[in-house]
Amino acid sequence: MQLAHVGKDYAKVDTRGGRLRLVYDLLRGRGAAHVFSALDDVTLTLSRGESLGIIGENGAGKSTLLKIVAGVIEPTRGNVSVNGRVGALLELGAGFHPDYTGLANIELAAALLGLTPREIAAKRDEIIAFADIGDHIRDPIKQYSSGMVVRLGFAIATALAPEILITDEVLAVGDESFQKRCIAWMERFLDGGGTLLLCSHSMYHIQKLCRHAMWLKDGRVEQFGLSEDVTRAYLTYHEEKAATSKSGMPLAEAMATGAYAVNSFDASVDDIIHGEDVSVRGDVYSPDGRAPVVVIGIVRADGTPVFGVASDMDRVALRKCDDHRFEFTLTFPALPLQPGKYWIKAHAADPEGLRVFDNVERPLVVRGRTRELGLVHLVHRWHDGIDR
Amino acid sequence: MLAVYHFVFTNIFRATSFAGQSFLAFVAVALWPWLAAQEALQRGALSLAGYAGMIRKVAFPHEFVVLASVFATFALQFAGYVAVLLVLKLAGEPIHLSGLVIAIAVWVVLVVAIVGITFALAALQVFVRDVEHVLMPILMILMYLTPILYPLSLVPANLRIWVAANPFNWVVARLREALLDGQLGVHPSDVVAVAVALLLFAGGRWVFRRLSPHFEDFV
Repeated sequence: MQLAHVGKDYAKVDTRGGRLRLVYDLLRGRGAAHVFSALDDVTLTLSRGESLGIIGENGAGKSTLLKIVAGVIEPTRGNVSVNGRVGALLELGAGFHPDYTGLANIELAAALLGLTPREIAAKRDEIIAFADIGDHIRDPIKQYSSGMVVRLGFAIATALAPEILITDEVLAVGDESFQKRCIAWMERFLDGGGTLLLCSHSMYHIQKLCRHAMWLKDGRVEQFGLSEDVTRAYLTYHEEKAATSKSGMPLAEAMATGAYAVNSFDASVDDIIHGEDVSVRGDVYSPDGRAPVVVIGIVRADGTPVFGVASDMDRVALRKCDDHRFEFTLTFPALPLQPGKYWIKAHAADPEGLRVFDNVERPLVVRGRTRELGLVHLVHRWHDGIDR
Repeated sequence: MLAVYHFVFTNIFRATSFAGQSFLAFVAVALWPWLAAQEALQRGALSLAGYAGMIRKVAFPHEFVVLASVFATFALQFAGYVAVLLVLKLAGEPIHLSGLVIAIAVWVVLVVAIVGITFALAALQVFVRDVEHVLMPILMILMYLTPILYPLSLVPANLRIWVAANPFNWVVARLREALLDGQLGVHPSDVVAVAVALLLFAGGRWVFRRLSPHFEDFV
């Protein structure tokens, strides 16, 4: 699969006259007068057996890029060449007709991909089994839940044995067990030499399934490289964005609204070896001069809570710096987290510890070599064992 | 529909025959293809919207949607047409079934022309939502301007040339000649009709192809 300097413009029209004008321009073979450039100058090469994750904010051009590769739209600029049978699952639902039943849509999709009626009949049971939506297969698609649509879409896209699979956020909607089946399918697909183009907001899925990743920002390639590096840079970008939108805000806004706010929050390190100490420190703004409560929590990168504690649980009062600022420092000695990515969060709460006002988070990477499973290392002892 | 017209015209207007032809057979032969064309245009013009989900997400030739819609309508209506002719024949109406050879050819020309017009209308409808609303009254006016419920001979002589210039008049006239009079010959007007149909088809498809790359964003 090769893309060279690919760009896509969308016509911008708002009025009815504008639409007529657009039709006139298009019929004359000219481009639209006012355009929005959704994608610009994207170049990439993907060989058989490779997997690429596409990440970026909403509106960054991810879906447009996938649609161009899938052949749904033609790029305004640049060249695209795709060799191989493409299975595409774009924007939740592989392009279904809402009035037809699931079964009819299976046949429609398969027929559009050029399968003969006999091949379709052979695949149908496989698709129904993978989608696993029971008797709903006989109901019109418009009555489906979004999860069911995605299940059917994924089942169709995969049953047709594509060489290139393009998926857009499919994993976000399916339930846990379906996500696992999808991931297992994609891993087998990659082992079998398939090429995967995955678009997701889940950095976890990108890292798990894709060797390389591309970060799109405002229609342009911001970064391309190994998926760990690109996802880390992307997450950092978001942290900075969140931090910049917070810095200065809490004090100004908190003063205005009378809320408690985390004024500053820092971790001593953001990258540790398993078992090292970690300290966090910061200060909390209090609108009424009373000592606020701070809640410190650790969550895994996917959001699973690991630990949380509030200063009032430990009967600790925050140290007063001035009338409105209260400092805290907290150390986790020999942090027993297993290697992986985590977030350390600080929340500001009122002195009663009843209402949580603010939330600031810092990333924490724990490194190390261990084959232990789970989130934390638990102290343990084997009895009556002998060393092997 | 035909029964209503039959009732209104024969019992209320007391128009039982035109030029020695039974009014029922006279109208049936011409009204059916008109209704087929009208339905094909209206459904075809809106056909792309029904497949919006697929147009946005699946790579396939968008022509299929319009073709499927128009062909489905015509297949059904043609079957109904043949059935009505058979029923009329059995009821003793003067229908020449041998004329079906010409009738099929006329319908084919009609389908080609309607596919062309529908291509253009369907493509425009994607961008300008009002096509469907404008289409309705235009079809209504055209129906009364075409000699479907009346013979061309009733039209005042000075207007007759304008009514006769209506391409659909060719469809009506040729079907009546073949099915009611049993004339199986070929007309010079047939060449013009085929040329017009092919022109409409080519023009409609050109419009469609120009606009279809942009459907994804507007449908």
